[in-house]
Amino acid sequence: MHELSICQSMIRIVDSTMEQHPGAKLQKIFLEIGKGATIEPILLKDAFAIVTSGGPYEGAELVIDEIPIVGKCRDCGESFRYEEIAFGCPNCDSRSVSIESGLELNIKQLEIDEANGGTKT
Amino acid sequence: MTKVDIERKIQDENDRIAAGNRRTFTDAGVLVLNIISSPGSGKTTLLESTLDRIAGEMNVLVIEGDVSTERDMDRVRARGAGGIQINTGGGCHLSAGMIAEVLGGLDLESADIVFIENVGNLICPSTYDLGEDVRMVLLSTTEGDDKPMKYPAIFLEASLAILNKIDLLEHLPFDIEKVQKEIEVLNPNCEILRLSALKGDGMDAWIDWIRAKIAEKKGSS
Ligand SMILES: Nc1nc2c(ncn2[C@@H]2O[C@H](COP(=O)(O)OP(=O)(O)O)[C@@H](O)[C@H]2O)c(=O)[nH]1
Ligand SMILES: [Mg+2]
Ligand SMILES: [Zn+2]
Repeated sequence: MHELSICQSMIRIVDSTMEQHPGAKLQKIFLEIGKGATIEPILLKDAFAIVTSGGPYEGAELVIDEIPIVGKCRDCGESFRYEEIAFGCPNCDSRSVSIESGLELNIKQLEIDEANGGTKT
Repeated sequence: MTKVDIERKIQDENDRIAAGNRRTFTDAGVLVLNIISSPGSGKTTLLESTLDRIAGEMNVLVIEGDVSTERDMDRVRARGAGGIQINTGGGCHLSAGMIAEVLGGLDLESADIVFIENVGNLICPSTYDLGEDVRMVLLSTTEGDDKPMKYPAIFLEASLAILNKIDLLEHLPFDIEKVQKEIEVLNPNCEILRLSALKGDGMDAWIDWIRAKIAEKKGSS
């Protein structure tokens, strides 16, 4: 599946941020992943461990905030949390529901250790 | 410990390249379709029988995405399409960058339509915008009628769903009305066509759909 290539895109973003903090050690990457985003957190963590093994990011932790799927009925305006990407308003039976969240694939924040060999800027 | 805020979509870079592809396609006035399905749903067969009907009337390019081999490219070249093969070497989807790399070698200016046959996979390609006008998903009757609910992501993003292999309907427990309703619920804006790429039923409506979309694209650019 495409966890590996998502992982590589994520690492490119991390690289460009870490360049601003020479010598710092990456500790954690905070991510937001929607439950409907077709990315399995466990597979992403595995891919990250494999890709970073032996390199400067080895041992860094992926902290994944899984965002629930929320749909909003276009007819009655009610919002609902769904276990899966779904269909139908439980309030008014409308078939027309827009997805408000649950498709995210975002990198939010890094936690880095500048003391660990980092140069003060 | 220091926290550094980033707040970016992981797909930012792909989306930026896709936007560039989209500008290139629009400047050339060419309609671009990104065809997504499981392996064996009939993407290449649909291209072959489409080419048999339109190759004399318009200029068709095909970008073939496959893990390996040029077999599908050979099949569409034999029917009069130009284009190029991309081998992803194991990759489960095409990305905007892979498309951008091959655009220089294609004569988009004299083309009317570009079909991109994505790697056979119903999940991964849905995360990658390529810069297409129309994302279309193909679902065939042999795959079972539970697929829209099992793989909703692709149906949410598609603007056209083709239900293929309707010639086999009488032999299979595939409830096509149920599938159509489920797709409509998932995505009320998704158009749905039923056809048999192999036998030809429903192909006329598909060809009409293509002609109308090309006219629309040329009119708008
Ligand atoms: N019965 C039937 N078979 C089809 C139809 N379309 C494609 N096929 C067959 O399905 C198989 C896979 O088709 P292909 O076009 O290679 O699928 P792709 O992997 O999506 O490109 C081939 O054996 C085709 O002949 C159809 O409309 N009806
Ligand atoms: Mg094929
Ligand atoms: Zn409602």
